[in-house]
Amino acid sequence: MNTKLSPRTQVALYGLLCLLLFPFIFPTWWMITSSIKPISQIFAFPPELFPSSVDFSSYTTAFEFQPFARQYFNSVYISVLVTVLTMLICSLAGYAFARIKFPGANIMFMVVLMGLLVPSEVTLIPLFQMFRAWGLSNTHWPLLLIQTIGASSVFATFIMRQFFITLPLELEEAARIDGLSRFKIFWTIALPLSRPALAAVAIFTFLHSWNSFLEPLVFISSRELFTLPVALVNFTDAYGGEMWNVQLAASTMSAIPVLIVFVIAQRHFIEGLAHTGLKG
Amino acid sequence: MANVSLSGIRKSFGAVDVIQGVDIDIEDGQFVVLVGPSGCGKSTLLRMLAGLETITDGDIRIGERTVNELEPKDRDIAMVFQNYALYPHMTVAKNMGFSLEHRGGSKQEIATRVNDAAAILGLSGLLDRFPRQLSGGQRQRVAMGRAIVRNPQVFLFDEPLSNLDAKLRVVMRGEIKALHQRLRVTTVYVTHDQVEAMTMADKIVVMNGGKVAQMGSPLELYDRPENLFVAGFIGSPAMNLLEGTITAEGFTAGGSILPMGATSSDGRRAYYGIRPEHLDLVSDGGIAAEVLLIEPMGAETQLTFRCGDVQLVGIFRERFIGQVGDMVRIQPRLDLVHLFDAATEQRIA
Repeated sequence: MNTKLSPRTQVALYGLLCLLLFPFIFPTWWMITSSIKPISQIFAFPPELFPSSVDFSSYTTAFEFQPFARQYFNSVYISVLVTVLTMLICSLAGYAFARIKFPGANIMFMVVLMGLLVPSEVTLIPLFQMFRAWGLSNTHWPLLLIQTIGASSVFATFIMRQFFITLPLELEEAARIDGLSRFKIFWTIALPLSRPALAAVAIFTFLHSWNSFLEPLVFISSRELFTLPVALVNFTDAYGGEMWNVQLAASTMSAIPVLIVFVIAQRHFIEGLAHTGLKG
Repeated sequence: MANVSLSGIRKSFGAVDVIQGVDIDIEDGQFVVLVGPSGCGKSTLLRMLAGLETITDGDIRIGERTVNELEPKDRDIAMVFQNYALYPHMTVAKNMGFSLEHRGGSKQEIATRVNDAAAILGLSGLLDRFPRQLSGGQRQRVAMGRAIVRNPQVFLFDEPLSNLDAKLRVVMRGEIKALHQRLRVTTVYVTHDQVEAMTMADKIVVMNGGKVAQMGSPLELYDRPENLFVAGFIGSPAMNLLEGTITAEGFTAGGSILPMGATSSDGRRAYYGIRPEHLDLVSDGGIAAEVLLIEPMGAETQLTFRCGDVQLVGIFRERFIGQVGDMVRIQPRLDLVHLFDAATEQRIA
């Protein structure tokens, strides 16, 4: 079957795609360009797509106004730690649900999945009281624990289980004959082969943790302990007005790690979603 | 190398008995083929021998040891799987040496054994490749190489040629046979292809419905099948099997009387079996038959006949000069006629 499109159709299709791309590109473009505009130009009418003058002072102001570097570091280390722990715990759980026969496995998996149905807002107050009773409020522990064993890890467990189910059973049987224990089979055979699913989990988890706003807002009260989403809304002047150019400079900087993670893992990410039967 | 003995082996999945009491003795260095239709239990039996399935009852002995409770790794076996089961993220060399590496073999020893196995199988130039970069036949060789490197007491093959095309299957069949002749390791090979079984085995075990239908050398099974199932299963094209009655005149089936050797079971319901190559075209005598189909295959010609209400297939070395619809006379070789009781389906003569 010949699937080649005529040049005219191709031009039309690319034109349509460019048009559809605009609403996605525009906010990012506006964020980046506005971060280097003087504040007076941001709301100029008609809006300027390309800044007439460039001013990088908002980037330095972001670091002077509040401990932005520390907040940036908080976000990075919490997100990385949560991502690594989630990948480890959820791949173990997913493997167990996919491959180990134990009584009540399916019911237990259903119970785990039901965690996705509980809105995080419902559990926030009890969790706050629990962590306060443990003396862990205004620390990073609630952010680490809730995100590592919360709803996003349930989803990650689901993705990993679906992937492990698709791995040929003969690979594990060959490994058993080769003398590997269950854990060794998981570690040396199943896990290296699950890179696409792990990449999907890594991106989901990192994004979820990086963008998490409600938990840090509730559990953290010191500026030094803030993560970026909470820090961003604190770029306000003495009258409570938004410092748009500084806020957008900080937003631009906070978007960089997400872009890096996505660019690195996108090939695996798409492959991972295809394997798990999920479509983004 | 070791003897293998399966005695009283049973396997049940819930209420379903998939293996119903199997006894097989395999001599040291023997090449045994388990053959049978899909679902007959041959792969389950092999997996039980490998330790990948538990047994419900019975004893499995490899060499002097009863291995019922042993893990696969402790049975000193190597298995080649139908889909090769090569580790996709490891190179050919790593795949082949993985087991030894895991068992703590020295780098020098692993390299030597991998290189030796690769040389035997013609894989020396492919050691740095990944399985995805190999053809089906090469992957099959790597799977065999992985087994050889372990130097096991028993090789187990689970339908290893099923995923290959017909031409490559014939080539690999020869390679496996040659490898066995070179290494003389006790081998158990599962297939549903009776041609593979006939060409490779020292001993064939024909399985049906979780039981051993018959075991013996390929020619024993071919020349003297003990029951109707084996008669129909072994041989390609299959033996002609006609249900009818033994009478004083011969074997009566579908309005025809087929000649047979002397038998005293007059009036008995039975199956009459004659292999296609044991029919002769004659000018006098025999029975009249109409030619229904002519299939020239070059070296031989396959003809399908109608005699009364029954059909017979014959294979002839000489070329057939004639047409569909011609009337000819065919004569079964009387000393090669098989008779099976209609009720028990066991051999009468």
